[in-house]
Amino acid sequence: MNTNLKISNVTKIYPGCVANDNVSLEFNSGKIYALLGENGAGKSTLVKILSGVIIPDEGKIYLNENNLKLNSPLDAKKNDIGMVFQHFNLFETLSVFENLIIDSDQQRESLREKIESIMRKYNFSIDLDIPVLNLSAGQKQKVEIIRCLIRSPKVLIMDEPTSVLTEQETSELFLSLKKFSEEGILIIYITHKLKEVMQLCDEVAVMRRGKLVSVSQIKNENLESLATKMVGQNLKTIKKKKANTASDQLIKITNLNFISEDPFETNLSNINFSVNRGECLGIAGISGNGQSELFQVLSGEILSDKNSIEFNKNYIGDLNPQERREYMVAFSPEDRLEQAAVPQMKIFENVALNNFKSSNFFNNGLINEKKIRKHSKKIISDFNVNTDNIDLKSQFLSGGNLQKLIMGRELITSPDLLICFNPTWGLDVGAINYIHETLVNINEQNKSIILISTDTDELLKLSDKISVIHKGKLSKIMNADEVTSEKLGILMGGGN
Amino acid sequence: MIIDINFIGLILASIMASAVPLILASCGELITERSGVLNLGVEGMMIIGAISGFALMTVTGSLIIAIVGAMLAGVLISTIFAFLTQTLITNHVATGLALTIFGIGISAMIGKNFVGIPGKEFPVLFEGLKDTIPLLGPILFGHSIVFYFAFSLPFITSYFLKKTKIGLIVRAVGDSPESASNQGINVRLVRYACILYGGAMSGLAGAYLSMIYTPQWIENMTGGRGWIALALVVFSTWNPIKILIGAMIFGGLTIIQFHMQAIGVRIPVQFLTALPYIVTIIVLVVISRDSRKIRLSTPSSLGKSFHKDN
Repeated sequence: MNTNLKISNVTKIYPGCVANDNVSLEFNSGKIYALLGENGAGKSTLVKILSGVIIPDEGKIYLNENNLKLNSPLDAKKNDIGMVFQHFNLFETLSVFENLIIDSDQQRESLREKIESIMRKYNFSIDLDIPVLNLSAGQKQKVEIIRCLIRSPKVLIMDEPTSVLTEQETSELFLSLKKFSEEGILIIYITHKLKEVMQLCDEVAVMRRGKLVSVSQIKNENLESLATKMVGQNLKTIKKKKANTASDQLIKITNLNFISEDPFETNLSNINFSVNRGECLGIAGISGNGQSELFQVLSGEILSDKNSIEFNKNYIGDLNPQERREYMVAFSPEDRLEQAAVPQMKIFENVALNNFKSSNFFNNGLINEKKIRKHSKKIISDFNVNTDNIDLKSQFLSGGNLQKLIMGRELITSPDLLICFNPTWGLDVGAINYIHETLVNINEQNKSIILISTDTDELLKLSDKISVIHKGKLSKIMNADEVTSEKLGILMGGGN
Repeated sequence: MIIDINFIGLILASIMASAVPLILASCGELITERSGVLNLGVEGMMIIGAISGFALMTVTGSLIIAIVGAMLAGVLISTIFAFLTQTLITNHVATGLALTIFGIGISAMIGKNFVGIPGKEFPVLFEGLKDTIPLLGPILFGHSIVFYFAFSLPFITSYFLKKTKIGLIVRAVGDSPESASNQGINVRLVRYACILYGGAMSGLAGAYLSMIYTPQWIENMTGGRGWIALALVVFSTWNPIKILIGAMIFGGLTIIQFHMQAIGVRIPVQFLTALPYIVTIIVLVVISRDSRKIRLSTPSSLGKSFHKDN
């Protein structure tokens, strides 16, 4: 039977922002629809309305001509709308089976049979009796999908599903989605990744700042046309020059190990690499393979053996982050609002946290506010942070502006080495472009970068050399121009 | 010296009796905490239960009204906590501490008129079977119904959490209230229910103290047992069976150190009094060392407020 889903004049207003501005869309089963837009474009709000998590201020939803009242996630489920959220809605400490039975009215045995038949049909293999926290991100997503399939949905909504997946897992997911579509399930695919839209979808709706910008057939579009629609302007392309291969060595890591007491951290074993001046070393990997531990060891949040890190002919393995900064190493952690900045503190106070002996932010134990303010203003103007108010609490900065502020704070002293971890995570295309430009500039000034990132495209664009981290071990270091994203994908999954 | 085997039986029975209020309060608090709510008001709820039970017994003369009334009093005072933390989203720790202070104060106020009044005898079950089996007889028979309930409660709690749908929902809410809410579970309702249940069990624990264990009202008679119950929940890593073990060790050492003091063992009294606290915690830490299991049974959202943001 055909499924027809209609969104009619939906509006949702938050204080200070119109998340959805009079959006109308129509979907029919048999096709895969893409909902494309940057962060904050309103696509997540729209699908949350479809799944009953958010109640719209105005507008109606029709499924096969029936007006749906979606006041809770339960209502969406009852009306055969299934949704897989970007941030999984799973209970980590419960077993897979417990996760699946919790919202089902079926008996244990019959449910187990049903789950097993679904897994056979789509070639999923997951142990139902282990706790969810032992699963990989791809497996967790499959559990979410199974949870939807149990209810034989008419509509399946996928919110940014590939952000945590490897290339292989992504192509497996696409195969499954195509299969679901052939079986008559209407698929709505939310993403900001243009390539995926071209690969998977039949029709695309683009949103920008809460408004629907266009609806079109994929066959009439290409990457550039979609990018322009999504951002609303043309972006300049960033081109990285090749680094000078004959430069000096700046940092050398030898036999670095880290054994964690926490079972949910990854142990690092026998890490060896070096970075030359003017070079960018990219470290790829699926999140949770030791990147965060590696970053902490490099930044000095976790101390290691003195001799394991040699920087500029000094051994700094046993120094804390503050002491390492004095040697002109700078850090940009993954978690902007927890690790890099204190959310409740003002911009200029956050700037003062990065305090060098030479910067004289403090006199005899007192804060030299005038100096810090001047310094903060310089960062804000040099690094394009979109605010004039340095008294603003940093939690109110957008992700892009906060990342620029952090980068600015780190880079204004022109350090020899910047170590950054997912610097563009969750940012919109404009901000990503700016950060990438900044990183390329660093290399051009003969300074070095260690870029730990889960975004393969970013790594291929910015790195001179690339290595892959898998289960706490680094692969051999490869020249970036010899690597393809397919090859990285295999290494990221643990292959050779 | 020949020690009468029944004497050992009696000592063991008294150890078990002293463990009863700990088991009751801990198992109640365990359910509350498994849903993600940290209620530090156990001591306060217990003492409210103690005075309510004793007062109702004295006034009405009915043991059933007294016991049920004590549980309802626990529910009532925990409703204040639930309203504050779940509806007004106040901080769990501060609210719980306030609840304890409030409970101790108000119980002393109500209790003024009940000091020195003798309690009533509480009926015991299977009295006649006490002498039929040596050693086991005094352990198994001749106790109040609350005693039997308390010793079955850890097993019931364990079964409830592992095997029933509602138990699963409680664990799910404690693991991730956001996910639970997105799955259509009413997080606030579940948490209210768990807090109220914890209140009822603390109330019952208090009533056991003032009506059965030492049948009289003494100001501040819970004497820190509520805090021990809280510690048992954490150090047992939210496992009801380990709560039973911990409560027995604590009760056992409390009784034994009394006897040691009576015999006149040459160990400082302060050390003997501190012994149960120290040993219980050491034993529980040692038997709960598997960090993987701790992670699996610790309610991830414990003590964190949850409110839906739309």
